[in-house]
Amino acid sequence: MLIRLHNIGKTYRTGGGDVQALQGIDLSIDRGEFAAIIGQSGSGKTTLLDILGCLSQPTEGDYWLDGRAVGSLSDRELAVVRNQQIGFIFQIFHLLPRKSALHNVELPLQYAGIPAQERRRRAIDTLRLVGLQDRLAHWPNQLSGGQQQRVAIARALVNRPAILLADEPTGSLDTRSGREILEILVQLHRDGQTILLVTHERDLAEKSGRVVTLLDGRILADERREAGDPLTQPSLVGSTNRVETAP
Amino acid sequence: MTLRDSFADAFKNLFANKLRSGLTMLGIIIGVAAVISMTSIVEGGQRKLVQSIERLGTNLLFIFHASLTPEEQRKFAGRSTGHKYGDALAIRRLRPELLVAPILQFKKQLRAGDRDYSGQVTGTVPEYQEVRNFRPAVGRFLVQEDIDEWRRVVVLGRDIAEKLFGTGSALHREVKIGDERFSVVGVMEPKGSLHGTNYDELIFVPVTTTMRRFTGNDHVNFMLVHVPNRDEMEAVTRDIHSLLIQRHDGVDDIRIRNQGEFLKAIDRTLWIFRIVLGGVALVALLVGGIGIMNIMLVTVTERTSEIGLRKAIGAGRSHILRQFLIESVSISVVGGLIGILVGIGMAYGFGDLVARAMPGEGDWGAVVLPSAILASFVFAVLVGITFGLYPAIKASKLDPAEALRYQ
Ligand SMILES: Nc1ncnc2c1ncn2[C@@H]1O[C@H](COP(=O)(O)OP(=O)(O)OP(=O)(O)O)[C@@H](O)[C@H]1O
Ligand SMILES: [Mg+2]
Repeated sequence: MLIRLHNIGKTYRTGGGDVQALQGIDLSIDRGEFAAIIGQSGSGKTTLLDILGCLSQPTEGDYWLDGRAVGSLSDRELAVVRNQQIGFIFQIFHLLPRKSALHNVELPLQYAGIPAQERRRRAIDTLRLVGLQDRLAHWPNQLSGGQQQRVAIARALVNRPAILLADEPTGSLDTRSGREILEILVQLHRDGQTILLVTHERDLAEKSGRVVTLLDGRILADERREAGDPLTQPSLVGSTNRVETAP
Repeated sequence: MTLRDSFADAFKNLFANKLRSGLTMLGIIIGVAAVISMTSIVEGGQRKLVQSIERLGTNLLFIFHASLTPEEQRKFAGRSTGHKYGDALAIRRLRPELLVAPILQFKKQLRAGDRDYSGQVTGTVPEYQEVRNFRPAVGRFLVQEDIDEWRRVVVLGRDIAEKLFGTGSALHREVKIGDERFSVVGVMEPKGSLHGTNYDELIFVPVTTTMRRFTGNDHVNFMLVHVPNRDEMEAVTRDIHSLLIQRHDGVDDIRIRNQGEFLKAIDRTLWIFRIVLGGVALVALLVGGIGIMNIMLVTVTERTSEIGLRKAIGAGRSHILRQFLIESVSISVVGGLIGILVGIGMAYGFGDLVARAMPGEGDWGAVVLPSAILASFVFAVLVGITFGLYPAIKASKLDPAEALRYQ
């Protein structure tokens, strides 16, 4: 088991009172899974992904990543975990504007302390994987949105992370580019990559083998299916509420 | 992330904001340039002063006659009336290795042919030229026979020679000092002015001749003593002092100053200059540092989401801290280097200006000290570190999740 969350809760303290963004989350993810997280806006998807990616710490509960208790790690160790085991993809790409595609992809390897030559070789290999081998020297503003997101995917993959965390990666793309990105993710999954995809769109979620539905910071449903099968009937967590998917 | 990667990133960011980086650097440039140009100018001035003092002889003792208070005058009435020629001879007997030059000065009318001039006459001895390091360019200086035989010979300063004889040779011509006829035996080399005395307007005659022909007594105004061994200065001062008290009937009307004291006084004045100018430069650098801090805070805010991203892909706090610190230090290092060049340029430019404004004073020649370059550069770097530290710490402490969502 790659990821195990036990009774995770997250409360934001703000001037206008506390916001309980997550509560009582129990979730396990195996190596090689492709899971989607869906839910309405404000249901806590990004908050959950931040905790999974060690970008923020839960205020309650325990998190084991690859057998290690994340709560006991120091800032330095967390940075290494983010560098080595986690790959992030964001809705707004987050490429550094003054670096070429190649340099953006090399960045995680720089923090990993990989020598320049190998860095370059691996970054080129990874960019080839996402079909951008002829855009190495382009600046982010010289690339289309879909291409920028592919650079971001290459950056997320370049250190061969245990898990890829994608927060609405198609959210700022047109349908066609969005579909291309999703195709890349599906292909990566086929090659064995563990992926967690946050999305608003149910039909994107259905490309995955598992759909976790959040509502108001709780897991409402956790549906699995075998490859090719339709999703099983939602197994309701909690009691009365029906599953509501976001539009 | 190697140091080289960090520096490459830092310079890329500085270049991306050329105007902003340049303006931020300006404070450091001005501060460093101020330190370097000012210390160079002061140093040049000091060397020039010291040189001109040493040009008038080194290891010198000045023996003055101190004026007495009315009480002392009453108490010592009739016992001592200052230095006498015999005092100089006595000092010479006491310590034969010393060069002693008694000096007797007075104003007299000079006349050569139909030219008239009122000049300062100096009665002295052959040792004077050694003691003052001041030699004749034509003919000779006074010699011992001139003293022993009270000869009526005169050595002219260059300007006086020109005034009395124009461009023609003055040698062996006759000059009337008061009513006495003197024969010119030499003309001095040019020397210039120092401390209000134009050495080119002096004229020298044997001290014995002046006593006999003009003053009618054996008093001298003061004495100059050259001490060959610098370490002996204090001992010599003590010996001369006690010898002279004895010779002055127990009256202490003797003041002995040495050249070192003059040099020290100059040094003290220049240190005040240095401290004031250094303070000004320091303030400029501090203001530059505040500019750096201001810009770095803006930069950190502007690049919040970049910081979040870097943390998300594996940067630790120390990486972020180092990155921003290197950026602020790069500003101060580049500013410091430019400031050094500007400062050197300003120092030499000023030296040039002085040389042109005061042609007689010779070349001021600013002296750029390597230690000033090093110190101001190190200080600039320290300013970059100090004022960059807070913004860098702020950046490193940003929460990655929140930083990523920052718009
Ligand atoms: N830094 C924060 N401070 C206070 N409240 C926060 C903070 N971040 C998120 N929240 C709150 O936590 C809840 C969950 O937010 P989150 O961003 O996880 O939702 P989401 O499911 O990702 O929504 P969306 O689909 O709109 O991205 C929301 O109510 C939000 O207002
Ligand atoms: Mg979200």
